[in-house]
Amino acid sequence: MSMDDQLMLRMEGITKRFPGVLANDNIHFDVRRGEVHGLLGENGAGKTTLMNILYGLHRPESGEIYLNGKKVEILSPANAVELGIGMVHQHFMLVEPLTALENVVLGISPERPPFLDLEPARKRFTQLCEEYDLQLDPSTEVWRLPVGKQQWLEILKQLFRNAQLLVLDEPTSVLAPAEAEQLFKTVRRFAEEGRSVIFISHKLGEVLEVTDRITVLRDGHVIGTVPTSQATRPELARMMVGRTVILERKPREKIRAADPVLLIEKLCCKNDRGLPALKDLNLALFPGEIVGVAGVDGNGQRELAECIAGLRKPTSGLVRIKGVLVDHVIADPSLLGYIPEDRRKTGLSIDLNVEENLVIKDYERPPFTQKGMLRWGMIREHSTNLIRDFDIRTPSPSVPVRHLSGGNQQRVVVARELCAKPALVVASQPTRGLDLAAVEGVHDVLLRERNRGAGVLFISTELQEVLSLSDRIVVLFRGEIMGDVAAENTDINLIGEMMLGHRIEELAA
Amino acid sequence: MIKATALREKLVLPAIGELLLSSFRPLLGILLAFIVSAGMIALAGANPIQAYRALIEGAIGSPQSIANTMVRASPLLLGGLGAAVGVKAGLWNVGIEGQMYAGAVGATAVALIPLPVPSWLHVTLSMLAAAVFGAAWGLIPAYLRAYRGVNEVVTTLMLNYVGIYFASWLVHEPQPLAEPDAFYPMSRIILPSARLPILLKGSSLHPGPIIGIALCVVAYLILRYTPFGFRTRLIGSNPEVARYTGMNVNRQILFVLILAAAMGGVAGSGEILGLKLRLYDFFVGGVGYEALAVALLVMGNPLLVIPGALFFGGLKSGAASMQITTGIEAPMALVIQALCVLFVIGVGFAERRWIDRRKQKVTEEAKANGY
Repeated sequence: MSMDDQLMLRMEGITKRFPGVLANDNIHFDVRRGEVHGLLGENGAGKTTLMNILYGLHRPESGEIYLNGKKVEILSPANAVELGIGMVHQHFMLVEPLTALENVVLGISPERPPFLDLEPARKRFTQLCEEYDLQLDPSTEVWRLPVGKQQWLEILKQLFRNAQLLVLDEPTSVLAPAEAEQLFKTVRRFAEEGRSVIFISHKLGEVLEVTDRITVLRDGHVIGTVPTSQATRPELARMMVGRTVILERKPREKIRAADPVLLIEKLCCKNDRGLPALKDLNLALFPGEIVGVAGVDGNGQRELAECIAGLRKPTSGLVRIKGVLVDHVIADPSLLGYIPEDRRKTGLSIDLNVEENLVIKDYERPPFTQKGMLRWGMIREHSTNLIRDFDIRTPSPSVPVRHLSGGNQQRVVVARELCAKPALVVASQPTRGLDLAAVEGVHDVLLRERNRGAGVLFISTELQEVLSLSDRIVVLFRGEIMGDVAAENTDINLIGEMMLGHRIEELAA
Repeated sequence: MIKATALREKLVLPAIGELLLSSFRPLLGILLAFIVSAGMIALAGANPIQAYRALIEGAIGSPQSIANTMVRASPLLLGGLGAAVGVKAGLWNVGIEGQMYAGAVGATAVALIPLPVPSWLHVTLSMLAAAVFGAAWGLIPAYLRAYRGVNEVVTTLMLNYVGIYFASWLVHEPQPLAEPDAFYPMSRIILPSARLPILLKGSSLHPGPIIGIALCVVAYLILRYTPFGFRTRLIGSNPEVARYTGMNVNRQILFVLILAAAMGGVAGSGEILGLKLRLYDFFVGGVGYEALAVALLVMGNPLLVIPGALFFGGLKSGAASMQITTGIEAPMALVIQALCVLFVIGVGFAERRWIDRRKQKVTEEAKANGY
């Protein structure tokens, strides 16, 4: 029982299945009292599922949860809050038009219903702010607060509810470095009082900085739990990215070309939040090569792809495809084939059928439109050919795309983007969510494009596939390229270090 | 190979099932609405079967009643089309009511000017004026939606009131359209040369419904067979994808909303030029909202607007005879209309869930078979 005395939380044999995915497979996980415990893993490793189970958002198929040595059933978030579990989601759960104070008391029953007296709450709010050194004005509306302060408010909400176990889901993804420092201080402070924190992240550096122990998840399994004092970056990186199935590197011939098909000069742009996403990025890509873009998700990959496709306006700098300046959406299928990151949102219109989706970029060109009229006969012929050539498994061209499997939906996008033999192919996370056979299929197609003489920009957060498919690898970190190396015989740990923000020049030294 | 074939058949099934259901969906919804309404009629103390018989009799029992149904359907056809085009593009044109008033103002103004032209041309010019007035009315929400991101539901809805009272102001003395010393605010009577002909003696059947049906067919052909139509369906199904294809999404939104509003304008002109011959104060009386209900009933399909509008028109013309025979007040027709829309939407949801379950089962079997 002495073990349990130290333990705030113990999760035993947690298994959770989603249709087609084993999100958590017999997971054992515990958190000590007064500990900051890092939960590390790539996207889709099962971190969020595990935490959603803890917070009562999902029910596990099997497994037990013990809080302070007592077995508990967590049926809903309200349940979790009652048990002293607090969660700060990656996307804040704040009501923007309400004030900071109103947000904090939201969901807590007033002392004398139906009247709401905010004065006691205001006192407690100010007191907690002083105690934890958080500068927050209770009467400011949330929309006026900068993101960093909104996060303080989220944490304050949990303090107000007297949470004993705090879950922070990717807390630094929206923060500037200085704000992150302040967050770490608060987190440590929280733990010193004998409470516990689960710190979810896929950023190695900060996990090493702020935690006491680290558990690494991969593909729904616990790979291991290590004390932070004994952990090293390369070891953690290996635990995180090591694939159970290693994709083999296929042999290929070198192709030499003089002029780059894609030339990016001093490209800067902002992300959707208006923060800088790319900083003075330079890149030249030649015909007949696959350049892999490695990096932890959210370091500017999406913005890079969108700038090349003309979907995002750069704040400065130039992008040229075969000499053509990109200052508009590039819809010329012989110039650019673009496989976007989110196929169901940007790549396909899932309510339209297969043949319609196969021509959404070409419908206005002959032979699909002649004399101002759509020629459905030609469209049918074209789509039947593509369905055959790209092995799209669909009962007929007139089936809505929503009825196809993920792999076949991806084949529709790939077929449309590559059928006109584009000079440049940009594939953004093209294998995300696909099973291994479908992944190999996508790799084969991209390799075929390269061998045909197209330049291929292959963006992926799965390091293993970047290594096995690319000719050259560039590593993105916070919108900058950390290094540019030949892919063959590259040390995976070197790439891993660059993914964490070390420039290749520093590493060589 | 056998497995693959069997699987293909299974994958085909939901597609066919969906097709069958999509045509049955409105019918099933309507059936459910009639069952529930029967209960309400019974509660009101009448025999539902007798009431429905009178309703049907009044809607399609004689050439006169059919003509009456067509006349009632006329604004629903044109207005329903105006709303349906929007639905296809993912835009909610809730402003048919106001656009009908705007169109009526345009049509009345031109129909009151003595023009040295043949009658067919005077009628055509009056209808064109209605289309232009409707389009101009729609330009405001269209621009705001396309280039300023203002929700079109709010703007089109609010402009309805502006339209209603703008028309009202115009038919009150001393405004130039108003009839002097009238017992009720109305415009002067339109010139004979601007009137639509009566097609059936002893009825008020004018060509409005036929124009409406023709425009529904044209709209269907445009949506299906032109790049403009393809663009419209694309922004309706996924605007993000539309942007990704390089399309000028904002311009498309602008055009579609203006076009939809022009239809609303023409819907208003049919009532003036074919039926009422004057612009009466508050003459639309909610028909614009019924037109929206038609569009909802048929999920925005322009071809199905035709039966949808005729059905609603039939309900309205039948309701009068139901009232005479059974004493059930004519507004019961409005209740039935509302229930039809609600049930059709409800059946749509049930169907979507059915398909999802079915699809999941097929996918799981496919996975189990290693396909």
